[in-house]
Amino acid sequence: MNEMLDPRKTFGEAVIEAAKKNPDIVVLSADSGSGSGLKDFPSLFPGRHFEFGIMEQGIMGYASGLATTGKIPVFAAIAPFVTARPFEMFRNDLGYMNQNVKVVGRCASLTYNQLGATHHSIDDVAIIRTIPGVTIINPGDPVTIKKGVNAMIEHTGPCYMKIGSPKMPVLYPEDIDFRLGKGIILKDGRDVALIGTGTVLSKAFIAARLLEEAGISVRLIDIHTVKPLDRELILSTARDIGRIVTVEEHFITGGLGSTIAELCSQEYPVKMKMIGIGDQYASNGPYEELLGKYGLQPEQIKETVIKFLNTK
Amino acid sequence: MDKTELLKLEITALKIRRNILRLIKAGEAGHVGGALSSVEIVTALYFKLLNIDPANPKWPQRDRFVLSAGHKCLVLYAALAERGFFDESVLDTYGALDSPVPGHPNMHKLPGIETNTGALGHGLSIAGGMALGLRLEKSPARVYVLMGDGELAEGSNWEAASAASMHKLDNMLVFIDRNHLQISGKTTDVMSYEPLDERWRSFGWSVRVIDGHDFNAIINNASEIPFEKGKPSLIIADTIKSKGFGFAEGKVNYHYWKSNPEEMEKAEQDLDNIEDQLKEKMERSGDE
Repeated sequence: MNEMLDPRKTFGEAVIEAAKKNPDIVVLSADSGSGSGLKDFPSLFPGRHFEFGIMEQGIMGYASGLATTGKIPVFAAIAPFVTARPFEMFRNDLGYMNQNVKVVGRCASLTYNQLGATHHSIDDVAIIRTIPGVTIINPGDPVTIKKGVNAMIEHTGPCYMKIGSPKMPVLYPEDIDFRLGKGIILKDGRDVALIGTGTVLSKAFIAARLLEEAGISVRLIDIHTVKPLDRELILSTARDIGRIVTVEEHFITGGLGSTIAELCSQEYPVKMKMIGIGDQYASNGPYEELLGKYGLQPEQIKETVIKFLNTK
Repeated sequence: MDKTELLKLEITALKIRRNILRLIKAGEAGHVGGALSSVEIVTALYFKLLNIDPANPKWPQRDRFVLSAGHKCLVLYAALAERGFFDESVLDTYGALDSPVPGHPNMHKLPGIETNTGALGHGLSIAGGMALGLRLEKSPARVYVLMGDGELAEGSNWEAASAASMHKLDNMLVFIDRNHLQISGKTTDVMSYEPLDERWRSFGWSVRVIDGHDFNAIINNASEIPFEKGKPSLIIADTIKSKGFGFAEGKVNYHYWKSNPEEMEKAEQDLDNIEDQLKEKMERSGDE
């Protein structure tokens, strides 16, 4: 059994470690610091933590202004409130001005499972990826959350990272080679490519094993950086395997599957199946049951893949 | 400020108004009303108040100017050209494909532009972040902001205003160009934020109200920031929309002006008249 770790705690620890090395890092809070694993940041780094209260639109501008003076603002809060709500500020103040700000949406996707559609963030990738120049990081395990934090701090430019809330299994060794914009082949195979991202990467991971047990050879890929997309890996996979199934805790509209389809349909069309949430507001309930409602549990992914492979 | 210095600023303001007209000649239309009402404020900033170096526009210790009401950009382009940030021939490209002087400013296209504004209600929070960052760097630089009065209905401004006072950003000065008009009519009829001074004071700002066309008032007050230690400073500058173009002054339909030859001629005549008055003034001051 893989070790289970808290993504928010992991994120907060990674930011604190990075801030020890890089004095330019400052943290902005929309009454959201402690919920983002950054409870200790203000006492560890006095003068580098700014509380604004619940005003996410304004914070985007403050972050942009801080970045113009050489600071690296990290702004973490509940995912829909740093994406959908202040979208125009994200686009104009961070994207259009190309500011070196790191926005982190936590409790993302359906992980605020009981709180309903206002607090779900299953459109964030779709809307943020329309902003030119923004890097979107959606890590699928605690190791890549940590690596993702370091990579986005080292990268100059606006970034959006999304992380979940419940504990998640460790899928990678500590020394995994993590590079922004480079997908990771977790397991190679030849019958079908299963491409996952973020909170449900672990579900795809188990589904790949179940498929192998059923005699289907799977190439399992982690696209932790949804933008810029690893074109090379996606296109070589399309050529080598010819069948792609994507798995994401996000609307099918505009998400990982959509971005891969945009690429493949123009460069190397292949059969695809996208597993995600359809055109509806997601419901509420226990997290694992909610994932099951949308076909995101490993056994369901396996069945969907088998059905997909059986269609002509 | 002595008479000679005042006269010099008035001549510069006239040049800036001429540059605005030059832009309109090239592009045939633009947001002139709010550009003209803020000419004295912007002239005072670029020719007296701002510590800047056109040869080194990214100098880290420079004062920042954030044009929150981005549609007033004609006055910004006009002033930057006059101050030597770029050649004034750039103004003749207004309206052309890929022009570096778009209908709202773009920092990636020209030196001296600090922010990409245009969507209202963004500038104040960006400026607040600059002020916070400069304070962290222990920089003596200051952040100046120009907002419109119609813009104040954007709620994001009030988020930014609260945060600026909460974080005691006394290294920033905001001008509100209160020309009393917006597209649909009088600001007090469209969505009133009056009494403005009291409203801003209640948000923790130190506020003064001046005549926004009076260089002495602008410069004397702006030179005294922070008005109160630990508080951001605000100047409500009462102005006349389209100031300088007599046919358009105080008229709501010149917020965005689609020029025509007759009105262009009138505008030139008005500016020539101002020039004559200034010449007379110069001669008189020479006699003294």
